[in-house]
Amino acid sequence: MAAAKKDKDFSPEIVALYCRQCLDAEERPQEGARQTKGFTARLVMLPCSGKVEAYQLLKILEQGADGVLLVGCPENACRFLVGSRRAEKRLTRAGQLLDLVNMGAGRLALKRAADLTTADILALAGQLAEQVKTLGPSPMKGDSL
Amino acid sequence: MIVAEWKPIPELLASLKGHKNVLLVGCATCVAECAAGGEREVLTLAPVLKMGLKDQGQEVNIITRTLERQCEPEFVEELSEIAPQVDAIMSIACGIGMQLVAERFIDLPLYPGVNTTSLAIREQAGLWTARCAACGDCMLGETFGLCPVARCAKSLMNGPCGGTRKDGKCEVDENTECIWRLIVERAEAKGRLEDLVKVRPSKNWSNSGHGGPKRMLREDLR
Ligand code: SF4
Ligand code: SF4
Repeated sequence: MAAAKKDKDFSPEIVALYCRQCLDAEERPQEGARQTKGFTARLVMLPCSGKVEAYQLLKILEQGADGVLLVGCPENACRFLVGSRRAEKRLTRAGQLLDLVNMGAGRLALKRAADLTTADILALAGQLAEQVKTLGPSPMKGDSL
Repeated sequence: MIVAEWKPIPELLASLKGHKNVLLVGCATCVAECAAGGEREVLTLAPVLKMGLKDQGQEVNIITRTLERQCEPEFVEELSEIAPQVDAIMSIACGIGMQLVAERFIDLPLYPGVNTTSLAIREQAGLWTARCAACGDCMLGETFGLCPVARCAKSLMNGPCGGTRKDGKCEVDENTECIWRLIVERAEAKGRLEDLVKVRPSKNWSNSGHGGPKRMLREDLR
């Protein structure tokens, strides 16, 4: 990686895209930025994780996010049947392209879960934040976001 | 459809070296169907190029457009307002569309973002296979609707070559059917195997690439 310095103490910005069907029935969907110890998460709700396209994952990173978390339903519990499987394929494709340009596929993560609270999603974002710290801040930082 | 595929990313990054404002232009017709040059691919490639160039220490602004058909001058004209703002164009349409853009914006360098490879069908989701080579003298009527020019690795006119694998695949590629095996099978199924041993007049190769660049003229349409 040419420009990015590996500063493990930085506070990663993680964009967390989550399928609304993953939420616990009692949980109110939440969106927007959450400052948490050690990282910031931006929550974005999707109608289905399969709605996401590879170019959207790439664009979020190009605009300076340090990582993108995609939360989808367990493979066999997708309401649209193949949504979370499609999500995985698109994330894989985006990851391959990120590796080719030295950004690192490790800036992307897919987690599958059900009955989540917002706190659970933030915890998953925290796991990605730890992974992203090993890659350092996004070299695209400062461009926008 | 005309099928194309992205050139390797390092090759694309090298071609944009030194440029600051690049117009990345796709086409919503054939190359969109083969997932190489439609709007989705334009939007995918743009951030990849931007990140790749940044990794090499180069800041670049990438403007994206997808034309309905890059092989028609009327649609290419839609770029005339944006073209003065860029110092290079990268096209991910087929070679036909690219040339029209290059000709219209002659002062700007035009970089091909894809390699145009074939005339093909989408055989399965995510799999495209060649069907026609635009040979200029279609022989599908003699080969039971299967094209040996595009689909036999040796473009044999009187196959099979003898190398057909036991499972019926071509000796050149284990994933491709021996098209001559399929032709023979279809002939047999129709009880017309004899047709394949008839002596046919030689094929007229001069109506396509072998006769120099093709030029088709219809006075009634001019
Ligand atoms: S015989 Fe020629 S025109 Fe006919 S399908 Fe084959 S390549 Fe195309
Ligand atoms: S095995 Fe069949 S398709 Fe392959 S080169 Fe020989 S005749 Fe052509």
